[in-house]
Order: sequence, then structure tokens, then C-alpha cells
Amino acid sequence: MNPLIFTTILMTVLLGTMIVMMSSHWLMIWIGFEMNLLAIIPILMKKYNPRTMEASTKYFLTQATASMLLMMAIIINLMHSGQWTITKVFNPTASIIMTSALAMKLGLTPFHFWVPEVTQGISLTSGLILLTWQKLAPMSILYQISPSINLNILLTMAVLSILVGGWGGLNQTQLRKIMAYSSIAHMGWMTAVLVYSPTLTMLNMLIYIMMTLTMFMLFIQSSSTTTLSLSHTWNKTPLTTTLILITLLSMGGLPPLSGFMPKWMIIQELTKNSSIILPTLMAIMALLNLYFYMRLTYSTSLTMFPSTNNMKMKWQFETKQITLLPPLIVMSSLLLPLTPMLSILD
Amino acid sequence: MLKIIIPTIMLMPLTWLSKKNMIWINTTTYSLLISLISLSLLNQPSNNSLNFSLMFFSDPLSAPLLVLTTWLLPLMLMASQHHLSKEPLIRKKLYITMLTMLQTFLIMTFTATELISFYILFEATLVPTLIIITRWGNQTERLNAGLYFLFYTLMGSLPLLVALISIQNLTGSLNFLLIQYWNQALPDSWSNIFLWLACMMAFMVKMPLYGLHLWLPKAHVEAPIAGSMVLAAILLKLGGYGMLRITTMLNPQTSFMAYPFLMLSLWGMIMTSSICLRQTDLKSLIAYSSVSHMALVIVAVLIQTPWSYMGATALMIAHGLTSSMLFCLANSNYERTHSRTMILARGLQTLLPLMAAWWLLASLTNLALPPSINLIGELFVVMSSFSWSNITIILMGANITITALYSLYMLITTQRGKYTHHINSIKPSFTRENALMALHMTPLLLLSLNPKIILGFTYC
Repeated sequence: MNPLIFTTILMTVLLGTMIVMMSSHWLMIWIGFEMNLLAIIPILMKKYNPRTMEASTKYFLTQATASMLLMMAIIINLMHSGQWTITKVFNPTASIIMTSALAMKLGLTPFHFWVPEVTQGISLTSGLILLTWQKLAPMSILYQISPSINLNILLTMAVLSILVGGWGGLNQTQLRKIMAYSSIAHMGWMTAVLVYSPTLTMLNMLIYIMMTLTMFMLFIQSSSTTTLSLSHTWNKTPLTTTLILITLLSMGGLPPLSGFMPKWMIIQELTKNSSIILPTLMAIMALLNLYFYMRLTYSTSLTMFPSTNNMKMKWQFETKQITLLPPLIVMSSLLLPLTPMLSILD
Repeated sequence: MLKIIIPTIMLMPLTWLSKKNMIWINTTTYSLLISLISLSLLNQPSNNSLNFSLMFFSDPLSAPLLVLTTWLLPLMLMASQHHLSKEPLIRKKLYITMLTMLQTFLIMTFTATELISFYILFEATLVPTLIIITRWGNQTERLNAGLYFLFYTLMGSLPLLVALISIQNLTGSLNFLLIQYWNQALPDSWSNIFLWLACMMAFMVKMPLYGLHLWLPKAHVEAPIAGSMVLAAILLKLGGYGMLRITTMLNPQTSFMAYPFLMLSLWGMIMTSSICLRQTDLKSLIAYSSVSHMALVIVAVLIQTPWSYMGATALMIAHGLTSSMLFCLANSNYERTHSRTMILARGLQTLLPLMAAWWLLASLTNLALPPSINLIGELFVVMSSFSWSNITIILMGANITITALYSLYMLITTQRGKYTHHINSIKPSFTRENALMALHMTPLLLLSLNPKIILGFTYC
């Protein structure tokens, strides 16, 4: 793609999200979402083949439906409150419709069906943008309307997402689908604590974005999209296998890595609010996630997967240099002792 | 406590910056020095705990376990030298780094004040152990073993996290030093029953309790020697230590909640001892014997009398040293014949008489021969369980008999009789191996002269 055009489109995506996050008028928020959606379609379709076309179409249809539902909720809110400012939503119906619309944008169950298929159809870099940047805008709206969200619906969606994210990823070998199911599960964790303490949602989002960025960059560096090709990294760059191990264990939420911090804080917040069965259930279902991360680490770092002799001498025509990778890896694994710094997110 | 933790952390840069022919020497020497420092903690003048800071403390229960942990690191390093000798330098350094990381987490776990910090470090010990088992184990079953190990422990301990946080909500603080003074009786209700279960299941899985012990034979058999040593000697004791700490907060429910677990342990110790009589795999035999000994510890902790706590602590230390020594002996067999089948390496007394002496001593301590500390532990547990209920003497007596049976079976099969014709070309015992056995045996024998340092905090 022409670099100038690509930059313009990327900037439009950024601008769209920024408009969503910084507006105080509901119409501007809708405009921001639409700008974001329209601009990201060319990015999803960087390679022109039927798979990306299908993925982009699915993405466009779900997100457009969600935006329309959002618009409907905005209008109902306008009818009942008479003003366009973003505060809490004044009508329960509007609140439910808005929550469903934002859940569709985030990929929460029961609106999660598009996430694996879209993520699988596009390239690794586009998948990266899809699973990290695109979550910021809906999450910021959820953060702002959090006082008026119907708790039952949100918690049901959250718990079902954790379940689906765990179970759905069990049968996958394609890395992008694995990351998609992991995103569904993490979104579930984030929305579960939204009503109790939105700060923790932001913390979870921050750490999730760091870990997903790290994972995707490690995949991009070894140009691998399946478990099989990832398992050949011990031939090419053995150090990458250790980094993949650490990051995957962090995503699974094992102490003492930083992926444990959001889970611990969320469990603490939920328990303080006297819901005990819910965090226990969520924590145990997160073990399903850990299982397929472990399977990935087994084939990549903890065993020397069978490969032919000449794989060690693979010609690499260009060594991809990803400068952001080392600090990201450090942050996604060693941040646990900095938990008291949570207060800066308030 | 930092005087032990910081040197242990610094062992990691030591391994990475050492020259190729100095890594084993450097790490073994410095870890021996660190264990000498930790010996000073055994001097506990009163029953009050020694507080080092807000975060670390040392107590007549945790001090012997701490000394055992620091003592075991040089032994693990000595035991691993042979099977790592053919590996590239970086992998040797990675292995030592894993062991050192595990050691750091274990030291911090045994001295943690705040219970959530204890929990985080308890879980943190899983990661290096998993890496050691899956990366350096020898058979394909190690993958399954690692998964069983990780998931059994995590399933048990996630409810523990929720329980600890809800206790913190109720009582305001989880600092162990405060809780011993704030203790109130836990009222009787369904939710408190679940609280009790959530607190205890993590440690029951770790001990392991008889019904949840499936991960142990797999993990012990598939782990390399250092992994087996640390698993048997220390990681199982984490469960016992946790139970001893947490039962102080869980009264009076323990008096009726403990019954199912007592039944499982009492029956389980006989079952696992009996299985030992039918084992063909040497490491598997030692693993099941660990389950059996730990079942005794569970019985002791759940009865909650002063003598039983003394017995539990003594038994933990004694079993740690004995079991680790047995694994080292089994490993010396494995390194020569590359098989764990017992009958393939018989009659070793004729070929390696000094090693046969170590085998004899290890088997004798395993069956709790007087005056070793194994006996003191078992005797205290048997006596206190007799006072709890007279019938248990039958089960305990049967267990002691069967333990003696399988220990002697193991000794006689490997040492006595005519040697097999294919093993007369094995290498003689290395000085390193003899030193390893001596370093295991010496504390065990010396402690029988002054067992009060390992009798825990109910000694009066």
C-alpha cells in the first residue's frame, strides 16, 4: 500500500478512537466509532485475498450492527433524559441495549462468534491492532456508563465469556484463533469487575494489551501462524522460546508474573463485595486458558520439537528488528511487585 | 532474612558469569555457605517468633524447614552434575538458574509473614519445578506429569486465594503475627464449612492426600534427580507447613471437618504402603512411600494436639532427608543402568559395598529405626492418634509393619543376592556420590542427638 495512504488510514483509526474516548456528546461518540470502523477495513484487507475479504465483511457487519444498536440506545437515552451529555444512562432499556452493543464491539459472549473468524482471516499485524487497539474505545464507553449498567446482564456475559474463551481455545492449533479466544476470556475478566471497581478494568486492560502485544510481536518475529511453525523457533532463535514461555505463563495468570496481578486484584475486589462463588468459578475457568497456553509452551519451549536437519540453516532474508519487544517482555512478566502503584490509575 | 535471600538471588549472576569449568564448584560452595548462615536461625530462645522485619519472620516451625531447604541446594547441585555433563553450557546454567529461583521462592515462602505473600510465593514455586520436570526429564511421560502437577495444585489453590481474601475482609489483616492474637472461634455455618475446605484443599493436594495423590508418582518419576529431590524433600512439606499455619485460624471447625480427611489419610497410608510392595519401578516405590509418610503428617496435623504437632514437624524434616537420600541412591542406579526397574540392578553389594552401606542406612531410617528422628516423628504421631482414638493403633501398627516390609524389600532386591551378569561393567561409585550420601545422612544421624530443634513450636 502506498505509505502516505497507509499513514492517513492509520491516523484515521487512531483519531476515531481518540474521538470516542474524549467526547462528551453521544453523537460524536457514534461518529468516532464509525470513523474507526470505516478506516480499519482497509487495514484488515492489507493482503487482497478471499479470506481477508470474508473476515473484513464479517467484522464490518457485526460492528455496524453494534453501532446501530448504540445509536438506538443513545436516542432512547435522549428521549428519557433530554440531553446528549455522557453521564450514566437514564433508562434501563437503553442501558441494556447499550451494554449489548458494546459487548458486540468487544466480542463478549453471546456476541463472540466473529472474533476467532475475523482474527484468523487477517494478517498478524492487523490482528494485533484488532485485538488491542480496537478494544480501547468500547471499554472507555463502558467505563463511563458503569454506574448504570445492569449487573445481572454484565456478569452473565462476563462469566460466559470466560467459559467460552477457555473452552473454545482448547481445540485450536492456529495461533491467531488461540489469541482470539484468549481475548474473549480476558474481556470477560475485565467486564466482570466493571461495576465494582472500574479502575481494575483499566488495570486489566493495560496488562492485557501489554501481554497481547508481546505475544503478537513474538509471533511476527518468527513469522509463525500455526503451532507447528512456532515449534520450529528453537532452531532459529532459541532465546525466543524462553520469552514465549514467560509471556504465555504470564497470560495464564501464574504468579509471580505480572499476568497474575489483574486476576488477583479482581478476585480481591469481588470478594470484598461479598460475592465469593463468582471469583472462585472465574479463577477455575481461567485454568482452561492455562491449559492451551501450556500446550503451546510444551511444543515450543519445553521440548525440542522434531524438525529436519536443514532447519537450522534457514536463510533469513531480513532479520526483523522489533525494538519495542524487550521492554514489553520485561513489563509483561516482572510487574507484579509494582502492584501498589495501582493508585495512579484512579 | 535478607542475609539469606540476597545471596541466594545473587547465585544466579554467579552461574551466568562463571567460567565453564567453575560453574559447579562456585555454585555448590556458595550455596553451602548460605546454608551455614541459615543454621544460626535454629537458635530459638523462646517460643515467640523471631521477627526480622514486617515481611519475614522465623519461628521454631519454619526454622528447621528453612535449614533443610538451604541444605538441600548444594546437594541438588552435586547430584545433577553427572546427567548434565553432556549438555551445552547454556543449558547447564539455565538448569542451575531454575534451581536457584526455586530456592529463593522456597526461602521466602517459609519465612513469609503475610499470608497472601505466602500464597503468591507458594504458587511461584510451581513454575521453576514445572520447567525442570518438563524440560529435563527423560521420558515422554514427563509432559503429562507436568500437566498433572500444575493443574492439580492450581485447582486446589485458587479457592485458597479467595478464602484468604475473605478472611482478610473479616479480620482486617492477614499478617500471621497479628492473627495469632486476634483469633476468634469460627462460627458454625455452611459458608464457614466451605471456607475451611477452601483453605485446606490446597495443602491437601500438595501433601498429597490419598485421593488426590495422582500427580505425585508421575511427577517424581519423570523429574530429573534435582527435581525429585526438591519435590520430595521440600515441596511436599510446603503443604504440611501451610496446614500447620492455617489450622490456627480455623478452629473449632477442624474437630468435625477433619473426619473425612483423617479417614482418607489413615486408609491411604496403608494402601500406598501396600502398593509399594508391588512396584517394579524404583523411583515409583520411593514416591509412594512419600505419600504414605505424608499421610501420617496429615493425620498429625488434623488431630491438633501438642504431641502430634511435634511429631508432624519432626517427621517432615526426617522424611525430607531420607526421601531425598533414597532418590539420590535410585539415581546412582539409574545413571549406571539407564533403567529404573529394580530387578535389573540386583546384588549391588558385591560390586559397590560402600554404596550398599548407604542403602542400608537409608532403608533403616525409612522404616523408622530407633533412635533416628524418623522414629521420633512416627512415634509421637502414633501415640497422639492412639489418644485421639484407640482403634487407630491397629492401622498405625499395620502401616509400620508394611513400611518395614517394603523398605527391606527394596534393600534386599537391589543389594543382596547374586548380581546380574550385565552389571559387572558399571563404573564404581564416585566420591561425589559418596559425599552426597554422607551429607544426607550426617544431619539425620546428628539430629537424633538433639531432636528438640526440630520438634516445632509446641515443644515445652
